[in-house]
Amino acid sequence: MRALTRRKFLRTSILGGLAAPWLGPGAAFAQDESAGSAAGFHEGVSNDEILLGTSAAFSGPSRGLGIELYRGAQACFTRVNEQGGVGGRRIALRLYDDGYQPVPSVQNTMELLIEDQVFALFGYVGTPTVTRVLPILKKFQEENVYMFFPFTGAQPQREPPYGEFAFNLRASYREETAGLVENFLRIGRRRIAVFYQADAYGRSGWAGVREALGARGGQIVGEATYTRGAAYGRSMGEQVEILRNAGPDAVICIGAYGACAAFLRDAIDLGLEVPVANLSFVGSENLLQLIADSVDDSERYTRYLVNSQVVPSYEDESIPVVREYAELMDRYRPEVPESLRQPDYVPFDRSFVSLEGFVNAKMLVEILSRMGDSPSRARLEQAVFTVRDYDLGIGEMVSFSEQRRQGMQRLYYTVVDQGRFVPLDDWRARFG
Amino acid sequence: MKLNMNVQKLFRRPLFGIFLLFGIIAVSTSWVCIATVDSQLSEEYESNSRGIAQTIADASVDIILNRDLSALQSLIDQFLEIQGISYIYIVNEDGEFLAHTFVPGIPGEILASDPADTGTVERVLSGADNYVEVGSPILAGVAGSVHIGMDKSVITLKIQQAVGRQMYLISSIFLVGIIAAIMLMNLAARPVEHLLTYAVQLARAEQKGEPVPGALLERDDEAGQLARLLLYFSKVTDPEKAGALARPEAS
Repeated sequence: MRALTRRKFLRTSILGGLAAPWLGPGAAFAQDESAGSAAGFHEGVSNDEILLGTSAAFSGPSRGLGIELYRGAQACFTRVNEQGGVGGRRIALRLYDDGYQPVPSVQNTMELLIEDQVFALFGYVGTPTVTRVLPILKKFQEENVYMFFPFTGAQPQREPPYGEFAFNLRASYREETAGLVENFLRIGRRRIAVFYQADAYGRSGWAGVREALGARGGQIVGEATYTRGAAYGRSMGEQVEILRNAGPDAVICIGAYGACAAFLRDAIDLGLEVPVANLSFVGSENLLQLIADSVDDSERYTRYLVNSQVVPSYEDESIPVVREYAELMDRYRPEVPESLRQPDYVPFDRSFVSLEGFVNAKMLVEILSRMGDSPSRARLEQAVFTVRDYDLGIGEMVSFSEQRRQGMQRLYYTVVDQGRFVPLDDWRARFG
Repeated sequence: MKLNMNVQKLFRRPLFGIFLLFGIIAVSTSWVCIATVDSQLSEEYESNSRGIAQTIADASVDIILNRDLSALQSLIDQFLEIQGISYIYIVNEDGEFLAHTFVPGIPGEILASDPADTGTVERVLSGADNYVEVGSPILAGVAGSVHIGMDKSVITLKIQQAVGRQMYLISSIFLVGIIAAIMLMNLAARPVEHLLTYAVQLARAEQKGEPVPGALLERDDEAGQLARLLLYFSKVTDPEKAGALARPEAS
């Protein structure tokens, strides 16, 4: 561990103490134990290490997202570090828990940039958190601080005034919602309602559905919201009633797994039997597990479920990156650091979220390796722009440029079959 | 010393008057307090909310025209953290809701209202509390308007707290005042009590021919004077003692 000066130790302790009540239950400062071990540490880079900073949900009702995203990334970083790192420098992550809440996320980011002086931000989770952090990046723009591959498809980090401070790999919510709307319309399901989280994430998805329908002469027929952080135990009966009164042919959900699983459960229980679609952010495996663990006939509840994904099925090992991911997840079985571990959370062997984390990490390693022996924040953006038609092994070429700050666009649709997510090949046969 | 809290018959009416006076003071000051706090807080909340609505309206122009609506939602979510603000919604020039904070959905009363009206309106939303709503036009109304709803129960709670504090103070003063009044009245009544006792003792002494108690006769206040007067009258009505009374020096 990098030696802490007494002053820094005191500052960290005081900040930690002050921040703890903000961070909520389970919130904690955590760090990779070997982070920043060498002397000459500058801008998150030392002779033998590159330090990245993460603030994500490791506690609360959406913890599965932060945990799985980290696990996938860590599988990649562990292999890279075992092989000697990038340019002889191992990659370390400094982790903070924000519980998927904006205020702790801002606090953590300040800590990462001022106290920890990380090289770059990586692996953030969520729209309400990321949208609040973006202005900080603008404030630190002279220090060339960039955010890499946040787990959100929202627009604020894809467009001015903050788009130039973030790089995205995944498809956007706008693309995900447009894809869902297009497919529903194609099979004659024209009355589309939206169930969404009452915050920036929900609004981003809602706006995507509205725009996609508007472009085809339609409009949202009904909408219902829930409060961020709602757990599976909460009733979504009121929301189901509101949407049922609108008479939809399909419902698009923009939420996290706890609330979306509760909505699906209550929709079926109250007789709203129409296709229910979720975006990639939902955390498909977590959602499925909640349903499977709480109802007798889970197939009845998941029959109408369709989730869009931004990575291919983790079961499809014909795809090189999936094969690599599966091998490394089995080999390392990565876990979050002890201080952030949730005793009642059982990680998934494989999941869409951890696969996305793995792909993100693999892309970042490639970018870092393009900076050669002397990585610096000032050269980071140009290194990203050298990525042109790069084969990540996912079946889609990845490119970045000044005008293109999102690497991939491809979408995948999945449904539940025999208790697991499988690719949806024929929308009409399933939902027509 | 045991505190005698029995109210003399003589002072029961004045004490009732004091009770009544305190009651009138308590009710009237509470009423003035409620009216003042309600008026001032309502004005203050309305003024602050209108200022916030104006701030959001100014900040919304760029977002509505150039950016994604999630940025607009993020903006209003931050203002929702201010105490007293219960909901915020933004509609475009066509009355379409672009961002709002309602859960589980937009109330029917608000859907049915005129979104272009940015005046102050009182709303009673079904299944919820009473609200005061203020609005502010965006880009003079051509880009829509911002509306902010304040929960009236916050104002009611503050009124209750203010009146409660005042009632606590008045009750304390009332309690101390009553105890003090009883004690002072008892103090004032003590010579009368002594005089009454003396009169009884005098009558008994006259009847039994016993010596008359003289302690009260030595006092130089009104009670002593009245005691001496009682003694005088008792002797005046007794012819045998009248002479002796007429010549006290000789006796």
